[in-house]
Amino acid sequence: MNPYLAGIGLGLVLLAAFVLVGRGLGASGAFNSVIAWAVNAVAPEHARNNEFIAGYLGDGGASPLKSWLLFEVIGVFAGAMFSGMLAGRAKVMTEKGPRVSVRVRLAMAFAGGVLMAFGAAFARGCTSGQALTGGALLNLGSWAFMMMVFAGAYAVAHFVRWQWR
Amino acid sequence: MAMMAPLFKYGMFGEETSLVLAFLIGIGFGFFLERAGFGSARKLVSQFYLNDLAVFKVMFTAIVTAMLGVTYLGWIGWLDLSLVYLVPTYLFPQIVGGLILGVGFVVGGYCPGTSVAATATGRVDGLLYVLGIFAGMFAFAEVYPLLKGFYLSGSGEAITLPGAFGLPYGVVVFAVVLMAVGGFYGAGLLEKKFAAPGE
Amino acid sequence: MPGRSSRLTLNQKLALGAVVLGAAALFATPYPGSTVTLDTKELALVVGTEADHVEAPELAAWIIESRADYRLIDLRTEAEFAQYHIPTAVNIPMNVLTDAGLGRQEKLVLYSEGGIHSAQAWMLLRAQGFKSVYMLKGGLDEWKDQVVFPVVADNPTRDERARDERLKSISAFFGGQPRSAAAVAAGAAVMPGMAPAAMPARPSVVAPPSPAGGPKPAAKKKEGC
Repeated sequence: MNPYLAGIGLGLVLLAAFVLVGRGLGASGAFNSVIAWAVNAVAPEHARNNEFIAGYLGDGGASPLKSWLLFEVIGVFAGAMFSGMLAGRAKVMTEKGPRVSVRVRLAMAFAGGVLMAFGAAFARGCTSGQALTGGALLNLGSWAFMMMVFAGAYAVAHFVRWQWR
Repeated sequence: MAMMAPLFKYGMFGEETSLVLAFLIGIGFGFFLERAGFGSARKLVSQFYLNDLAVFKVMFTAIVTAMLGVTYLGWIGWLDLSLVYLVPTYLFPQIVGGLILGVGFVVGGYCPGTSVAATATGRVDGLLYVLGIFAGMFAFAEVYPLLKGFYLSGSGEAITLPGAFGLPYGVVVFAVVLMAVGGFYGAGLLEKKFAAPGE
Repeated sequence: MPGRSSRLTLNQKLALGAVVLGAAALFATPYPGSTVTLDTKELALVVGTEADHVEAPELAAWIIESRADYRLIDLRTEAEFAQYHIPTAVNIPMNVLTDAGLGRQEKLVLYSEGGIHSAQAWMLLRAQGFKSVYMLKGGLDEWKDQVVFPVVADNPTRDERARDERLKSISAFFGGQPRSAAAVAAGAAVMPGMAPAAMPARPSVVAPPSPAGGPKPAAKKKEGC
């Protein structure tokens, strides 16, 4: 799809979120909620004592899984699956460049996720929550974050080009 | 017409409905992410090798669209912008977090939202990325006491660009639009120059 | 360029549209600031019917029943709040009330020392679109007078006895004690400023611990982005 049209579509979805619910999109926060729930289920004492996790548990009245973001992310899964199947782009495969093995690529994907988690935790969001949402709302921290994401990626791209090219 | 949006903040519907809306909005989000081809790591990282700048185009088009929408709806009084949640600014952690995220983006090939989209379309590396995020979040929580000081450094206030630079809101909006459109033009030029062989 | 096409491509049209909208937005003021519109007739009606009042004994009953469908807000300063506050109340001083992030659909009960600040805060919140705002009639003064130190008859009739027992148990629940009617009558004749021997000393009230199972303080779980 024309990237500009896809962008307009995305922007309208974001606008709908603002107008209907008074908040923007996001992704990384849903992962936090799931982790908080899981740790609390396995070791509640430890979860309570961990300040970061305890924040996602609140006073224990509502499950951390009852999170707007988590429902939204589940929707992302569904919407992407629908679009992918519609376009014939849905296929079990591993995205990688020609010079790298599947195993190495999967390991790098995992490592990337770990890095991403730290980045998103410090930044209080990721490209959806901070760059898109905060960007549209002209949030100072979000714009700074956005520029740094591009900076970091461009800086390191050269060193991992073997993975993609 | 009086302020009546964000509808949820005006009590138009309850929490359960807002969760259903979350799911529906998510569907829209995921749909357009995949439409743009962002379920594919190779497409995404092409941004950082200057072959295909769709990430920049999609992201900034979305930002400009929503920004103009919010500006106009707020201006005519249909949307109470002060009720839309603005994430507080913690400048240093957000700068460092952005750098780390950028590295994770080009190493892993995705960001959290696109990794979910990729997993939904069968990408095994997308799934591994998602697992990596879980592992990383757990690790972060475990070492949080060590990171807490840095994590909380910064004002923690909701600051907008117009506020920070003392400019009228509309001026910043116009500047962003100009920058985006200029960027799109430049992106077209870069893509022609750095097109990957075979494209 | 091979010939000038007079038709713009889709992308060019989009770009043009964006620039036009951006330029038009130059004068936009999307944040309304602190200006509000008041429906004076509607508000006057509500004030007149006193539909927005909550009596002190009513509030006491709600607290004893551990009702959790409302938020009790103490509008005084932190120091005053620390000295004494109605159990289950949260302290939101007047000056931060508008920034407190209260949901417009929440049921709020406001109180201050007397009734002036809570009435003013009520007006501010109603003007901002809060529909479910109530004031504790008479404020903390009435609370102390009717709930914590209620007046009980010295020689109660049978009906009065039932009422007085209830007042005594409510008062005990909140850590206070009843006052004898005769003492109040004797003291009431005294002009303020004079140190009367007959007027019972009002002990400083210590807030009793929150009743078990009472509404928990709103430790909202955060959600992140």
